[in-house]
Amino acid sequence: MVGSFAGTRRVSASAYFSGVAMATLLGIAAAMFLRPAFGHTVLQLVGLETVPQAAPGSFYTVRVAPLFEAHCISCHGGERQKAELRLDSFAAVMRGGKHGAVITPNIAKDSSLFTRITLPATDDRAMPPSGKTPLSKDDVTVIRLWIAAGASGTLPVKAIKGAPALVVPVKMPELDLAAVQRQRAPLANEVSRLQGRFPGVIHYDSRSSADLEIDASLKGAAFGDSDLKALLPLRDRIVSANLSGTGVTDASAPLLASMKSLRVLRLMNTKTTDATVAALASSKRLKVLAVAKATPAALAPLRQRGVRVYEDVDVR
Amino acid sequence: MMGKVESQSDLLQRLHCQAQNRRQFVGWGAGGLGAFFMNTAYAAQQPATSSGLTFKRDPSTPLSVLPPQFPAKVKRVIYLHMGGAPSQLELFDHKPTLSRFNGHDCPQSFLKGKRFAFIRGVPKMLGPMFPFHQTGKNGTWISDRLPHTERLIDDLCLIKSMKTDQFNHAPAQLLVQTGDARTGHASLGSWVTYGLGSENQNLPGFIVLASSGPGPTANAGKPLWGSGFLPSVYQGVECRSAGEPVLYLNNPHDVSRTQRRHVLDAVDEINRQTHAEFGNPETVARIAQYELAFRMQVEATEAMDIRREPAAVLARYGAEPGKNSYANNCVVARRLAERGVRFIQLYHWGWDSHGSPTDEGINIGFVNRCRETDQPTAALLADLKSRGLLEDTLVIWGGEFGRTPMEDNHGGSNEISKYIGRDHHTAAFTIWMTGGGVKSGMVYGETDDMGYEVVKDPVEVRDLHATILYLLGFDYQKLNYPYQGLDQKLTGVKPARVVSEILT
Amino acid sequence: MSDSPVIHEIPHVRVWDAPTRLFHWAIVILIFVSWLSADRGLMTIHLCSGLTLLALLLFRIGWGIVGSATARFSDFLHPPRKVAAYLKGLASGDKQLYAGHNPAGGLMVVAMIAILLAQAVTGLFANDGLHFTGPLALLVSDDASTWVTKLHGTIFNVILLFVWCHVVAVGFYMFVKGDNLVKAMFTGKKPHTHVPADIQVSFARSYVAFLLLLLVLTVGGVAWFIIQGGALL
Repeated sequence: MVGSFAGTRRVSASAYFSGVAMATLLGIAAAMFLRPAFGHTVLQLVGLETVPQAAPGSFYTVRVAPLFEAHCISCHGGERQKAELRLDSFAAVMRGGKHGAVITPNIAKDSSLFTRITLPATDDRAMPPSGKTPLSKDDVTVIRLWIAAGASGTLPVKAIKGAPALVVPVKMPELDLAAVQRQRAPLANEVSRLQGRFPGVIHYDSRSSADLEIDASLKGAAFGDSDLKALLPLRDRIVSANLSGTGVTDASAPLLASMKSLRVLRLMNTKTTDATVAALASSKRLKVLAVAKATPAALAPLRQRGVRVYEDVDVR
Repeated sequence: MMGKVESQSDLLQRLHCQAQNRRQFVGWGAGGLGAFFMNTAYAAQQPATSSGLTFKRDPSTPLSVLPPQFPAKVKRVIYLHMGGAPSQLELFDHKPTLSRFNGHDCPQSFLKGKRFAFIRGVPKMLGPMFPFHQTGKNGTWISDRLPHTERLIDDLCLIKSMKTDQFNHAPAQLLVQTGDARTGHASLGSWVTYGLGSENQNLPGFIVLASSGPGPTANAGKPLWGSGFLPSVYQGVECRSAGEPVLYLNNPHDVSRTQRRHVLDAVDEINRQTHAEFGNPETVARIAQYELAFRMQVEATEAMDIRREPAAVLARYGAEPGKNSYANNCVVARRLAERGVRFIQLYHWGWDSHGSPTDEGINIGFVNRCRETDQPTAALLADLKSRGLLEDTLVIWGGEFGRTPMEDNHGGSNEISKYIGRDHHTAAFTIWMTGGGVKSGMVYGETDDMGYEVVKDPVEVRDLHATILYLLGFDYQKLNYPYQGLDQKLTGVKPARVVSEILT
Repeated sequence: MSDSPVIHEIPHVRVWDAPTRLFHWAIVILIFVSWLSADRGLMTIHLCSGLTLLALLLFRIGWGIVGSATARFSDFLHPPRKVAAYLKGLASGDKQLYAGHNPAGGLMVVAMIAILLAQAVTGLFANDGLHFTGPLALLVSDDASTWVTKLHGTIFNVILLFVWCHVVAVGFYMFVKGDNLVKAMFTGKKPHTHVPADIQVSFARSYVAFLLLLLVLTVGGVAWFIIQGGALL
């Protein structure tokens, strides 16, 4: 007869797997208890807890979230979750990490997030750690005010008084040469042809756009209506035209008025009159206009629209 | 060239001519002499930058216009440098608390651990020497020394929180103008003309006009508008507002323009042959410069001749034709702006108000400097504005550092009232800017009650540079030039910040 | 006949050699050490245990080629159809006996070695966002290293899942099938009734194991030296 086997009892498969299922659930429950952050994640995942959301115009979204994004999420976000803490969403911030919640609403000094960012730089546990861009005094004030006002995700920006002014750093646009080439492609041949014909007059307004600037002011009287007419193919792309001191007259008014992207137009020291000014009433994008002689009445509608007008003062 | 067998002396001659490219030669040594011969020397002068922006141009038109990296707010710069460092405490930074401490001993906290140019021992605090009042739409504080500039206060953006780390004139001026306290770096105007070229090909792209009070001021001289490691064609050209715009520009007495043209044609031909033989890019630049000088004979003479302005205009500036003055230089500056010059720089020396000699006294020399500059500066601004040029011009006014809230007790002497002056102060100074893309009627930054330290919104010199380049359409990190193993930038190696708060 | 159960000495058959057993338990300990050290930020310990794991894994792969019969991949790697057939037989209670790993177990072994190897290798290139980087992190860009770190974190969760699967499976054999696999992995012996009749397991010589270990350590040492740029020179 086959003897029993050392140490193990036999149970039925169903009993065993039920046991495994229960043990697994108990394990998850224990993990949820020991790690509240994980607990919140699980509950939110199964829908037993609402996921806290931050409103778009809230103080959190406008002032606090950008700080976390700039200083914290490289270690507490999608790529890394140090101390099991994520700061890349309002829900994650309120959830906390390995050591529990990092925000105690209303009480900044009980919020470990706040105490860690106010530690002296020499302290090992100071956040952000040395080597990372530190939070400025203003940044810390913003966070303190937010916690003190209840650490809400919905309280609007204006509701919290006394916050330091928001400094929006300038964003340097990325230069995508291939995209710019594509944008310039339709008129590229015309542009080079006309640049050859009028050297020094036509330039792209920047390396990152297909918009054009015309500057014929140094050509003087030698540049006239017919020369401007030659630029007709480019008219939709012209954002700025400096024709001061040229031979351009009212005859060019329709062409100038038809340049739909035109923002800046200079006609000082030319023979243009109110007729050109009147034609420009239809220039939607016009922001700056420098004219030769023109009457206040003719300029009034443009001024009313907010166009900055400059009139000829001294003749050169 | 390829098939020729070179003698030793030919080789040495070639190496001598390529002296400027010696560094590159040593670098390519590994590739052998073949690589050296194959090199196109001009390409070497326009090395590829790491940013992807190239500034390659036809060598005969080194100042041809190139578009900025992104759409710019301004197309030209007029930089009014007040050499010697004007006292911000007598012009823009109103400190009533300092008045109350006038004559008191300077507290130790201001002296401990600090180095001063001339102060020794314990100086006395010096309250503002002139009364302040509020003016303009926003109640901006200003002293009574600038009545003309004051009328345009709502157009200006004052920055009271400038900081530097140089307390002597030459290094501080170099820092402000070239981004580094030592010589050898390219000036702001050089960077700008290198990056953007200049619209008027008959005038230099970077023109410097200097004037001064009676006494000398320590200054760094020509390196302030030098091109440093950038090709020398981008250096500033110092012009004069009286007499010949550029010395020796005009032909000698009996030489006609036609004769000059013939001479130049011959010189050009020789230079072209030299270039074909030795490939030195400076030869091509030299050809271009001779041609520019030839064109300048006509255009510069006309541009800088302020007698062509109506008398009423000259009166507005306080300009007198025939004298070399700041007022005359301002008239010229406006004319140059109208004629497509990219970077116009005015220096007015004599602001170094230590108190000794009298010309440096705040109660004497400083008053004169204000009088010499206030009216012309205001007239220049007003003219630019009325012509619509302020829309796309950036005007900057300022010195190289500030002045101390303490009296300058030169060398420790405490004789009362003999030396009324202030020493050099690095911790805070004031400049103003106006023009396209800059907020009007704004005051940015604050110093403490004594005017000693910046307490709010500090702006380092490199931050100012980054902001200027941004207004011109460049990311200060991307406008760089490889030299000595580093992608050199105007802002240097420390991180800089565009001061977005003052931008529209 | 007596009713009292008499526990006879059942003859046992030796199936697992020492290197395989030592490897298995060392891995178990090292996984825990790696986990706990990473959790507490003790990165030096984490690096050491990770490198040891890598060495042991490489050893095991070599041993799977030149080791004892039951350790060899050829012994327990079966085509998917065989694995499916085995699992079906398990469900219906067929008697299927294997000396070494059964087909399902063989799959587990391979999957486990693969995932642990992936973890060790990604760890070499990872960084902790501050001052600690894996020994090979300097060979790749910062962005690549960060991406690999993220992968390292994800694979950890997969390892947890695999370990759970493994423990549940072993538990199944122990409590449902009555097959004490844990004891077998300690002692190396299984009761003869649990192995196919007349099985003959050939064992590799001990010196082969030592040589293989030496090879792994030498190759690793040289690689380390080269990567560190001969820093000691």
